[in-house]
Amino acid sequence: MFEPPIQRLVDELARLPGIGRKSAQRLAFHLLNTEEADALRLADAIVEMRRSVRLCSRCFNVTADEECAICRDPRRDPSILCVVERAQDIPVIERTGTFSGRYHVLGGAMNPIAGIGVEELRMRELVGRVETEHVAEVIVATNPTLEGDTTAMYISRLLKPAGVRVTRLASGLPVGGDLDYADEVTLGRALDGRKEL
Amino acid sequence: MALRSDQGIVLRSFPFGEADKVVILLSPNRGKLRTVAKGVRKTKSRFGGRLEPLTLVDLVLYEGRNLDTITQVSVIEAHPRLRTDLDAVLAAGTMVEFVDLVAQEDEPARRLFLLLRRGLETLEAGPVHPDVVTAFLVKAADAVGLTPSLVACAGCGTPGSFRRFSFAEGGVLCESCRTPGAYLLREGLVEYLAALADADLGNLPDADPSLSGEARGVARRFVEYHLERRLGSMAVADA
Repeated sequence: MFEPPIQRLVDELARLPGIGRKSAQRLAFHLLNTEEADALRLADAIVEMRRSVRLCSRCFNVTADEECAICRDPRRDPSILCVVERAQDIPVIERTGTFSGRYHVLGGAMNPIAGIGVEELRMRELVGRVETEHVAEVIVATNPTLEGDTTAMYISRLLKPAGVRVTRLASGLPVGGDLDYADEVTLGRALDGRKEL
Repeated sequence: MALRSDQGIVLRSFPFGEADKVVILLSPNRGKLRTVAKGVRKTKSRFGGRLEPLTLVDLVLYEGRNLDTITQVSVIEAHPRLRTDLDAVLAAGTMVEFVDLVAQEDEPARRLFLLLRRGLETLEAGPVHPDVVTAFLVKAADAVGLTPSLVACAGCGTPGSFRRFSFAEGGVLCESCRTPGAYLLREGLVEYLAALADADLGNLPDADPSLSGEARGVARRFVEYHLERRLGSMAVADA
């Protein structure tokens, strides 16, 4: 047991993912021994992040403004929409540098086994955007899992009748990977999605 | 601690720790298996794709203190077509949810396993029969001792065709056993359910559109009543 102010910080830190008792103590003592200004900057960053960040009113990405930077960017092509499960997935796709459209964050995926249905996702908002923003193509970038695939099929069934092109990210072999290490399910999908050279 | 091998159908999994997953399977020999697959959430993982729900796998397990660790997996049947058909996935979701609710750990579940395997095989062969979930629920309920009484009165056992159905009594009731809450089912519905209960999942009688929906509702309520649980997957499918 430590003095109450230290113990309180240790307890709070230990609640973070991947941080156990011992790491929490180490972090707390590091913050105690560091320059006061450094420690306060961390505290301030947490406060500012929590106070200012909210969801983009258009795509539900996280943002400090009414709309996120991607939705406000006039160079982005509004006719292509990339649907992702979580806001964390957006920077991952952005890093590829090959997508120039806008995003839509669903807030999860359908789970036919646990009974997570479409009411819990921002599906109605997606349909609304497809209509009002004159979207020509929707790229479904949900995870290649049973849940992600189910969500993708649902979106396709929902939007295809409206004449929108619905596509799905390909799944297959990782670049730099080794064929004998691939599992048969992934390899099967890679074969299905092969490309003409 | 020993290594052992087993077979199972993956029911579901959830993240565990940094990159691991807890994978829950149904084994014919040991019932519900709770296992850990280490590192499967990393892209480099060799068996991530093999442990997706609805996959029938051969396993090598390392026995741990409370959860067994998966050391090898090979796919027997991945049901790839099923996964590209929304109706088939939703039907499979209900089958798996039911099995997950009723299966117990360390209790052989051979009939339940064979039934689930047959159900998935049928969905894989496609197209989805409108009554496949109804038939599965009635048959699987029977496999775990929840047989609905359809050809004899659930109260006194008198054989016959009755139309009053009580969820609490577990089947049809004759005029003298009839309870106030028993429903009067549509003409032919009880026989329709009885035919589904007897048929092979892969070879069901032709669906009757006028009875199919109600039969599904009765099977669902029957199961939900006796398990005291809502089948979330059916709510998703019926939405």
